[in-house]
Amino acid sequence: MQQIALLVAVPLLGAFLLPSLARVHLLLARWGVPLLLLGLLLWTVPLLQQVESGAVAIAIGHFAAPLGISFYVDQLALWLVILLLAVTLLIWPVFKSKVHQQSLLLILIGSACGIILSGDIFNIYVFYELLSVASFGLVVERRSGAAYAATLRYLVVSSVGTVLALAGIALIYNATGTLNLADLARLESSDWDRTKAIAAFTLLILGFGVKAELFPLNQWVPEVYGAASSRIAALMAGVISKVALLIIIRLVVLLFPYPEVHQLLMVLAIAGVLFGELAAWQSRDFTRLLAYSSMGQLGLVFMALAIPGEAGVLAAVALALHHLLIKPALFLLAESWGRSLSQLRGLWYTQPLKVALFILLILSLLGVPPLPGFWAKWLLLSGLASLDGSLAAMALAVVAVATVVEVSYLFNLVRILVDEREQTVQDVPLTLPHSRVTGVLLSLAALILVAASFNIAAVGQHLQQIVQQAGDRQHYIAVVKPEIKP
Amino acid sequence: MMVLDQLIIIALLTLLPAAVAGRTRTGAWVATGFYALQLYLLIQMAGVGSGYMVASSVMPIVVWQQTIELQMSAIGWFFAVITVGSALAASCFASGSWGEHYRQRGNSLGAFHTALALNVAAMLLLLSAADILMLFIGWELVSWAGFLLMFLGGRAAREAALHYLTYAIAGAMAIFVAVALIYSHVGQFGFEAVLSSVTRWSLAQQLVVIGLLGFGFLIKMGIMPFHLWQAAAYAEAPGPGAAFLGAISARMGLFALMVMVVQVVSLTPLIKTELVTGLFSLRDGLLWMAALTIILPTYTALKQNDARWLLAWHGIGQGGYMLLGILLADSMGSAGGILHIFNYATYQLLLFLAVTAVVFRAGTANLNQLGGLVTRMPLSFLAMLVGIIGLAGIPPMNGFVSKWLIYRSLITEGMPLLFVATVIGTLGTILSVYKLIHNTFLGQLRAEHHEIREVPISMWLPMMLLAAVVFITGFMPGLALEWVAGVQVAVGLKPITYTLGGVETINGSLNMIFVVSVLFFGFGVGALLFYSGNRSHRVNQLDNYAGGHFLTSETRYHYSADFYAGLMHLIGGWYRGSFLWFERGVVMTLSLFSNGAALFYRSIHPSLYLLATAVLVLYMVV
Repeated sequence: MQQIALLVAVPLLGAFLLPSLARVHLLLARWGVPLLLLGLLLWTVPLLQQVESGAVAIAIGHFAAPLGISFYVDQLALWLVILLLAVTLLIWPVFKSKVHQQSLLLILIGSACGIILSGDIFNIYVFYELLSVASFGLVVERRSGAAYAATLRYLVVSSVGTVLALAGIALIYNATGTLNLADLARLESSDWDRTKAIAAFTLLILGFGVKAELFPLNQWVPEVYGAASSRIAALMAGVISKVALLIIIRLVVLLFPYPEVHQLLMVLAIAGVLFGELAAWQSRDFTRLLAYSSMGQLGLVFMALAIPGEAGVLAAVALALHHLLIKPALFLLAESWGRSLSQLRGLWYTQPLKVALFILLILSLLGVPPLPGFWAKWLLLSGLASLDGSLAAMALAVVAVATVVEVSYLFNLVRILVDEREQTVQDVPLTLPHSRVTGVLLSLAALILVAASFNIAAVGQHLQQIVQQAGDRQHYIAVVKPEIKP
Repeated sequence: MMVLDQLIIIALLTLLPAAVAGRTRTGAWVATGFYALQLYLLIQMAGVGSGYMVASSVMPIVVWQQTIELQMSAIGWFFAVITVGSALAASCFASGSWGEHYRQRGNSLGAFHTALALNVAAMLLLLSAADILMLFIGWELVSWAGFLLMFLGGRAAREAALHYLTYAIAGAMAIFVAVALIYSHVGQFGFEAVLSSVTRWSLAQQLVVIGLLGFGFLIKMGIMPFHLWQAAAYAEAPGPGAAFLGAISARMGLFALMVMVVQVVSLTPLIKTELVTGLFSLRDGLLWMAALTIILPTYTALKQNDARWLLAWHGIGQGGYMLLGILLADSMGSAGGILHIFNYATYQLLLFLAVTAVVFRAGTANLNQLGGLVTRMPLSFLAMLVGIIGLAGIPPMNGFVSKWLIYRSLITEGMPLLFVATVIGTLGTILSVYKLIHNTFLGQLRAEHHEIREVPISMWLPMMLLAAVVFITGFMPGLALEWVAGVQVAVGLKPITYTLGGVETINGSLNMIFVVSVLFFGFGVGALLFYSGNRSHRVNQLDNYAGGHFLTSETRYHYSADFYAGLMHLIGGWYRGSFLWFERGVVMTLSLFSNGAALFYRSIHPSLYLLATAVLVLYMVV
């Protein structure tokens, strides 16, 4: 456990060594990355057992909390690392990518692990910047005009965001004199000016919300996912957004458990769900449809996070994990389906398996029982229903309306997929590239879903246990044991 | 293992032969056998049906520290018998030649049988719900299974199914929200816990929950103004599937309404809320919604030229009678409403199967292109005849009994205007069912239909059995009224006093055995006169002449197109399509908002928003 920093160090080191290794032998570079990721994955999985009873804090180089760099490892963090590594391993095209992309990917992984494990806002900020830079490089990979334009836009939003986040961090440091999360968690609400706290939180989510696709910072999403390769889109929508989400979860749980913060999140989430789903409704392009739908789904996650207490975190984590499983699989489909919807007519007759799996995945996304998506949505709705006030009532209504809109556009797509093609002269039979790997990965996602819906009680219990650990502020403080009171 | 467990397991097991071998004749017959087995198990549970016991499952499912149990009371049993019986008839009908024909036209017969089995299993789960969570899960499963069955038709069917799905999910989400609200107040799922807690709520809370639940349930029932999806979705489904959906699917809404609103929340808040003080309560509003649902869709049915669409529109109208009866909530009216569910299911199934038989042989359900089939398909004619007498509510068929109970209750409860409304609806029904049987079976046989034969036994047998049920429960309504009284006890209404021949109360009595005997005595006298006369001479319908010319089958001497031209001249102007117009308006508003949202994401200066927010925040700090 003490070597947990390897999760950050090894990929970063690998990223710098990779170009040199590629000069020695190309095969070395090609196989190096997946093997490295696999090694890390196998090394991380057994660690889960060690944090089951309680989280572990690690001071890098034995420098204690406020001065040294501290890592905080709980079940949620480890699970996210495992999922990050596993999803990357599964969807990364080993044989198609160039060396510099592999390097960028490793930087992305290393910095994401850094964000997940850091127990210090400033470190999180540094890793977040690193992650942003790596993602710019990955997104622009196709080098088309659209890719450049989209990336530029993404770069502008992202860098303005990070500057604002830095301002927020400065504000916190100015008010409290520390940036360690455990230190900050010890602050009572009377210890610092509420207005300042809210301002700091706003600035922070303006920065970190960019990658978590928080409204209105998600403006870059449709263009970037449309222009980047679908595997990058899968990685960003599926996993990287959840990494950014973890930052916001930590902020809300540890630093800002205030009603104003929940209210702010709720307002943004309601707008996010509405805008995302409504925009998806008019979308006539498969990739963009997925991008908009992804924003709507993350809106639901933020809506859950806006519910105070553990119930909110539980719903948010459940929704996020569910989304993490499904969205990458759907984006993989975009590799061959990524085009205008009307061109997908009659695909059922050539690729029945993929269409069937697609339907299963979207059924879970819509929350049809007994699939896991239903239980995640149930957690959200029962959490919202227990709140008083018009904002919660509005959120309930918005969830309901958004689901109807979602069902309408997703099943309109299904209708197009199974529609017979008219046999006219200019209508050539539809032959889309057929990737076997995609089929296998889709089946894997569907299999996990079905298995989970059969064991929903066990899954739910485990999830609850994870969230209990992550949602417990006192536990965080007790584990890190900071010595100096700010 | 309890009988209920066996029933659920068998219902789930039916999926196996249906999915694996449904495309073959054997597989289809095995699935049909499974429905027969389910019906047998239900008959074993007959004690549940009379309302004096409850069947429980011994396989509790634990989720989120809550135990979900299955439990079937009299109301669930009543609906379950109709469901399984309808599935048995539809599956039997589809297992023989119809299936072969369906498959030869390039459809997937296996998918059809799977969808049917899925519908039945989902409905049984819903019907044995003992808590709100299971009720919702069952509800969603029923909605999606129904969608699958509708989706299997052609392009028009898929369009209609999508239309249905949007409505169904809107309803389901309203119910989901209501379930979440109830759970957040009660902390438990069980009906009993909800029942004991709900009485302590404020009127506003009760109304919110009733409103959300009612919205969802009324959509499923197709009560106006939420009825637009239903006709197309049911009519365009594959023949026996349409029969099954038409007979029972929409009634799931009524089941849920009776369980959740009548039994759990009770109708009191609706009666207490007065829209016009002392004159017009919320319940009266709902009663008028039901009455309008009887009238308008029935007259829409009158205009249809496709037999399937005509029946489907009638299905919506008939749902109005049931809701009307149940909302009356006195023992006679609610008995009428509940009995109408059963009666309607039997004759609607019969009618849809008869129409499907005609489509099977003649290739079309277009009422302008049929006629004279009575000589070629006498059994199907008999089936349709029995069915339309039932649908029109004329003795001696069962439809008369339930309608009589509702009329009687409307009069004794002092609602003469509603009574007039239902009579107007019945008039429309009689007119349009006459059009149905006339344009299909009577009149001139078309040249292209000369070679048509009667349908095979796998198709006419279920029709004849259903016709027998329609007649027998009309002759001896007491058989079905026993179950109805059980349902009334289960949902906490006052049970009706019934006899084998009908009802006997101080508010009025009906003895169908007597009525039918008199009727048949009249028929007997007529037959006596007929057969005591000279021998009749049977001639071919073309053995005739007009204007000095002999007729051939190429000469049309009898037209059925534009059937009620005179009537339409009078009332045609009333058909405005206002609901369609309204629906289009909603969709256009949505697309306006949708384009607005997309515009937001297309705008060029995203960072402006960030800066604006930043300035705002900095202003707050300084």
